[in-house]
This record gives sequence, C-alpha cells and structure tokens, in this order.
Amino acid sequence: MLDGAILEELRAAVDGAGATKTAARPSGLIIAESQLQTYECDGLTNFRVLPGAVVLPRNAEQVQAVVRICAQHGIPFVARGSGTGLSGGALPAEGGIVISFARMNRILEIDIANQRVVVEPGVINQHVTDAVAAHGYFYAPDPSSQSVCTIGGNVAENAGGAHCLKYGFTTTHVLGMDVVLPSGEMVTLGGAAPDAPGYDLTGVFVGSEGTLGVATKIVLRIVKRPETVQVLLAAFDTIHAAAQTVSDIIAAGMLPAAMEMMDRLSAQASEAAVHPKYPVCEALLLIELDGPAAEVRAQMEETRALCAKNGAWEIRQAESAEERALIWKGRKAAFAAMGRISPNYIVQDGVIPRTALPEVLEEVGRMAAEVKLRVANVFHAGDGNLHPMVLYDQAIAGQEEIALDLSYRILHLCVDHGGSITGEHGVGKEKQQAMGYMFSEPDLETMQRVRHAFDPQNLANPDKVFPRTKLCGEKTGPYTPHPLETAGIAEYF
Amino acid sequence: MAMGVESLIAGLDGVECARNAQGRVVLSPGTVEEVAAVTRAANERGVAIEIAGAGTKRGWGNPVDAQIVLSAARLNGVREHSWQDLTATVGAGTTWAAMQQELAKHGQFVALDPLWPETATVGGVIATNDSGALRLRYGSLRDLIIGMTIVLADGTIAKSGGKVVKNVAGYDLHKLMTGAFGTLGVIVEVTFRLHPVAAHTRVWSVASQDADALGEVMMKVLDSHLSMQAMQMCASAEGYALDVELASLPEVLTTQMEQLRRLAHEGAPMEAAEVQGIFNAREALFRGDALVVKMTMVPGAIARLSREVVKLGGTAVTQAVGIMFARFEDATTLSALRELVEAEESAALVVLQAPTVLQAPDAISRAAEEVAPAGGPRAAARSALIEEIKRQFDAKRTLNPGRFVGEI
Repeated sequence: MLDGAILEELRAAVDGAGATKTAARPSGLIIAESQLQTYECDGLTNFRVLPGAVVLPRNAEQVQAVVRICAQHGIPFVARGSGTGLSGGALPAEGGIVISFARMNRILEIDIANQRVVVEPGVINQHVTDAVAAHGYFYAPDPSSQSVCTIGGNVAENAGGAHCLKYGFTTTHVLGMDVVLPSGEMVTLGGAAPDAPGYDLTGVFVGSEGTLGVATKIVLRIVKRPETVQVLLAAFDTIHAAAQTVSDIIAAGMLPAAMEMMDRLSAQASEAAVHPKYPVCEALLLIELDGPAAEVRAQMEETRALCAKNGAWEIRQAESAEERALIWKGRKAAFAAMGRISPNYIVQDGVIPRTALPEVLEEVGRMAAEVKLRVANVFHAGDGNLHPMVLYDQAIAGQEEIALDLSYRILHLCVDHGGSITGEHGVGKEKQQAMGYMFSEPDLETMQRVRHAFDPQNLANPDKVFPRTKLCGEKTGPYTPHPLETAGIAEYF
Repeated sequence: MAMGVESLIAGLDGVECARNAQGRVVLSPGTVEEVAAVTRAANERGVAIEIAGAGTKRGWGNPVDAQIVLSAARLNGVREHSWQDLTATVGAGTTWAAMQQELAKHGQFVALDPLWPETATVGGVIATNDSGALRLRYGSLRDLIIGMTIVLADGTIAKSGGKVVKNVAGYDLHKLMTGAFGTLGVIVEVTFRLHPVAAHTRVWSVASQDADALGEVMMKVLDSHLSMQAMQMCASAEGYALDVELASLPEVLTTQMEQLRRLAHEGAPMEAAEVQGIFNAREALFRGDALVVKMTMVPGAIARLSREVVKLGGTAVTQAVGIMFARFEDATTLSALRELVEAEESAALVVLQAPTVLQAPDAISRAAEEVAPAGGPRAAARSALIEEIKRQFDAKRTLNPGRFVGEI
C-alpha cells in the first residue's frame, strides 16, 4: 500500500526534505520489518498486525504533515503512546501508519496557581504528577499503568483508575487540546478557560479511541493533594456482606477515594505473589479515605463500625505509608498473580450497578460451574467495575473457546443488569462485537454520524469500537501478559 | 407552510396540541416515541421546530424562526432513583427543583446549582450547559451526566452512555448534546450520577474595596486543603465580595472557618461575616432588560477582569472555576468587552473566552455579536467541523435553526 513515493513524502514530513539521518538525530521514519514488529500490537497481545510504516514526529506540524499525506492517499493511521492499552486500541491497520508520540513527550507549561499543566501527548501520566508534586498537587486519573502510559493514550481511552470514584476520569481533567483532524486540518478544542463557545468537542473527543483525530497538545487540570490518606482492609465471609458494607458507606453519605473488593481466589493469588498479608476470606474489602485529617478520622471510625455491623471478622487499618503501599500492592498484583494459579486467563472489564453485585457474581459462579471453569473476581466496588478473570488451560483442547465464550457471556450479563461492556479498558478491537449487544442499531448509527463529521474517509483508527461482520474463523482474545507487566514495570489493575 | 403544519398535526396521534399566545402551534408529546413522531413528521415536511422547556433561558442564543414549538412539559418526572447506586433517570421536562426534591428523599442530589431551579427544566439546563458555584467541587454537567436518550430530527431514537458511573463504551453523545442548545437533537431522558447532599455547610463572606486583595485570598483558598464546595466573587461599583462555602463535619468546619479567617487577615484586614443564600446572586443580574454576558477565564484572572467590568460600569458574579456573568445597563459596552477579550487573546496564555450574550435589549443583534473573534485557519476548521456535525445530525435544519453560535 505504501509505495516508495509515499514513503519519501513521509520521510520528508518527519525528517525534513533532503535530511540525512545521523546518530544524534535518527530518522523519524521506521520501515524495517524487524523494527515494525515492535508496533504490531499493544497490551492485547494476541491481536497482531504489521503496520506499513511508523513515524515519530517531533512536533504538531510534523503530525499534521503526516496526517495530510494519509488523507491525500487514503492511508489508515493510528496514534500510539506507550502501547499499554488492553483492548487493541493501538493495533495498526494492515499496511497503515502508526504515529508514535515517543518524541513528543515535553511538558510545555506548568501553571500551579491556575491548576493547569499543558503537555504533549507522549508525556507519561506519572510525570505530570512528578512535575507538580513539590507544589502539593497531583494529576488525578491513575490507571495502573500510570508509570508508563501516556496522556495521549489516556485521552483516547478516557482512562480511569482506582481513584476515579471520587476524582473522576480523564474527561474530568482535560480542559482543551490541539487536534489534527483526519483531513489534516488543525483545530483547537476547549482551552485553559472553561466552557468554550460551541459544541463540547473536547468532551466528545476524550474517549473516542483515536477514531476522530490525533491530539498534539493537551491542557490538563491538576488537583490539590489531600491532607490525609488512610486505608482500611476488612475480611468478610460472603461477597454479599462486603457488598452491603459498600452500600452502607454510600448511604452514610461518604465518598471514599477508592473501594476495592477481591474474592477468595484473587486474594489467594495475590498473597502467593506479593505477600500482602491478606486474611483468607471469601470477600476482602479495601477502603481508602482521604481529605482533611479530622474528617478522615471521623469517617474511618464510621466505616469501621459499618464493616463490623456487616460481620467483618478482621478489620485492619494501615498504620504507616509502607503498610498502605503493601495493601495496595496486593490489589494491584491481582491480575499478574493469576499466573500462579492458572496457566492462562482472560480478563474482562464489565460494569454493573453496584447493587447488582451479589446477584451478578452468583450468576457468574453458576455459569462458570456449568462449563467447569474457575472465575476469579477483583473489582472497583465503589463504581461497579468488575474485572472477572476466566481461568483456563490452553493445553486442553477446546478449553480456550469455552473460556472466551464464557467471558463474553459475562459481559452480556453485565449489560442485562443495566451495565456496560467496558469501564476503563475501551472497546478497541477486542469488544467491538459486544457493542452490538449493548447498543441498538440506531444508537450505533447516531454515533457514526459523529465519526463521519470528523473522519469522512474513515482513516483514523478504522475498524475499531463499532461492530462489524464477524469474519470466518475469527478468533478473539485471551489475556496474555504485556511484556512491561512480565518485566515488572507496569501492573495491570 | 401552514398546510405543512396542518397535515403534520393531523397525522399525530396522542400528541397534545395547543396554540400559544403568539398563535404558534405547541405540541406536547408524552413519550419518546411521540417526540420521534413529531420530529420525523416535521423533518419530512420541512417544518422547523423550536424546542421549549420552561423558556427561562430563551434569550441565550438567537431567536428561532419556527412554525411549531415542541414542549417538553409532559416529558417529566423522576423515572428511577437507584439511591444505593447514586444514580437517577429523569424526564427532560422535569423542573430542576422538582427533581431535587424527589432525590432529597434519600439525602441525594444532582450536584449542580443552575439558575432559576424552580422553573428551569432539566433539558433546558443541559441544552444551555448552565452551572453554578458548586461546580468548584462537583464539576460540570460533563461530569454528572452518565446517560441520555435523544431524538434526532429524522425521528431516530438514540441512547448513549448508560446507568453506571463508569463506562467508556462508544461515543459520549450526551456530551455533544450538553450545551448544544437543542440544535442536534431533542433531549428526552437523562441519567445522572448523584452525590450525597452535604449535611453541614457554612458560608463565609468577606468584603473589600480592593479586588486584587480579595483575588489573592481566593487563590489562597483554591490552593488550600479547606473543604470548599462553592466560591464566587461579586463585583459592583459599591465594592467587591468573596463568598466561600465549606462542607464537612461540624467540628471540621469550626476549625476551617478559623483557618479561613486567618487566611484573609494575612494581608490587609477585611470585613468577614457568616451569611446565607448568596450563591444565587447571579440571578439578580438578569432583572430587567440590561445586557448580560458570560465570559470565562482562568481563576487567576478573575479579580482583574472583575475590576475591568466595574470600570466599564457593570456588575459581575464570577464562579471560582472562572465563569463570569456580567451585567451592563448600557448595551453598547459590548464592543468594549470584545476589545478586552481580543487584547487578552494576544497574550501567551488565553485567559478569557469571548463574551456570549445571554440577554440583551432588542436593539442588539446577537448573532453578529456572539461569535468569537476570528482566529485564523484553526477557528475556520473548527467552525466547519461544527457545521458538519450539525449537517450529519440535522441536515434540513429542523431543530432550533439558527439558535446556536454562528447561527447554527
């Protein structure tokens, strides 16, 4: 698809016309197959497609030049940050172009007084917090991959994290951005001041999974770090009792910074992997409260009482920052720890209204027993975001298909209970078929109108998000650990 | 055209039909299907529709030349309040206050304080993206709406989002509808995420003749650990006032009120007092027939811009997130305001958005005045994109034609 003339155009766009590459300034165009392989998948590693070329622009003008070339020749493109996404969002189109933001990773402006930070899309999430921490601020959205994932990727996916129950998602913290439209035109959406006149295109763009254009500059909102943080762990005999405690905390008018739940299987796996000293129980609840010291103290007392009322037989409050970190480490290691109790597993990202939790988990247990598989559960209990992990053994003929089928039926169950197929991982390539279960034809057709307005040629990350006719023999994905995860750099959560 | 309207009405079953004081046909559908029947019939016949809630903010935007009015009055009521899930689904025609009253039965609310809650409807508040001082703690409608049912001009019924707080499946059409002034679709039903109503609040106000000194206090409060939920600066020829609302436990509030007092006294001593019911101050700006504009800015610019407004003979109420509502008795002040904005925009950091006229004496043509100052190719590309979105959703310009910025 990419002939020599197009490659030359691309080279000129990112290296400058007639430029020769030097060791100090390597070319911004990658076409060698061995190098292209680095870009053939993201965190969903069982989908692999080799791109036609990868470009590494250094500024917005170069991004714009690349997208113009794509528009002119009808070449599909996808932007890529660190490639940590879990739904195949950064998977290239065959022969298409990957625009890597590895070289656009500068923090452009820090305005502490107005609580704004302006960044290029390749800036690592954690680096935003690092840059403002000395002033007592942080960047709130905290996906578990935050030490490696980029703001550009977070914007595409509307990334969440354990603390979004209280602090909101990426969309809450993006005020504006510069975007190269699929036509190659540059627009500014939103800005440092709120409520720009016109449609809220910033709101629509965040979470559009790269299908509406490419952001080149992003204005973020930062948040004052709370005065105090406290973490509590409580052990229950039933999921129902733990879920009731969550409801009681909400009913008492509290909004914890995070509420996480693990079932026996996940807690066991975590204990084996990182030894967080979890009690052995059917349901483990982790609650983090933050705010003014006096307020947190009072709410912690109330929370302990509610745990006790619902039969918690061990209530443990982290006394030090180290203890707090250990409790969280166990939770964050839950996915990777599955390897200790099962050779293979599929992780899903369904959401349900939190009150449906006991009923849905019971049903999941029944469905799993029916096909003789185990399902481990960890979830963001505060917002109903489930991460069921279907455990199986690839070596047993036919078991992977059964596991996949079960994982999709669990998503359908979430939708049946008024929930969603994805809370934070995105639809991407992985769940595009499930979109048809969650939304009706007219819903999807209306969303397509937005897409057509931004991208009439269908070049920006095509064949993602929306369902398509399933190909014969098509295979969808079990979970395979991301190389960063295996290397211990990033945690899956 | 009159024939079109007659045949349109004749073909609609169950939709309540009346004439308003101006003789225009007012259709009041009671279900989403009836809304779809109305828009489809109008769209097929080339009949324009004005969508109406309570009409409290009809002046926000250009007048609409439409033969029929689609009233949301019968699309009312709290359909579902899942209080344990902190969500509620509400008909767009419900008045804001009626909704809050229902939600309050479980100590919850939609954490937004719009103008005229007793009469303003949920749909109207969303279509105009109104928000009050509570936005400081709880965010704007973008953060509070988790799902929506809309009807497009061609009768398509579409849902986006859902009933769960956390959800990234598909495009957020509800964000596109928020602030679109009904030009893309009719909002029929909305699902909100809710918050518990703060059980204990204290409001503190400090007055001064020195806007900059008050501005400094405001910036210090923003940078503090105080449990603030609302903050605003009021400006007039008589002077300036900073209002802060704190929400926490009673004992925490006592300590924090003391901290607040100390914070204010670090600079020049100021008069501070505990007050109540001041966060609806912006409503007073709309009394009578004066010019009222909305301008937005970063917090650090609030004190300076408040001074500028007073210098131009105006009064202003500005929320700490940077949303200013300013009133001028003399409508010709608008040109001076635009100069102010243009001067700011040439600065490195854009701190001020163009004034949007919310209310004006008839003499002013709003359409011409509302558009942001021309900003080169980027602004042109953005306008083209906005026009294309309108074309995709409502190619025949059936819904609220001309209401929006740029006469969309």
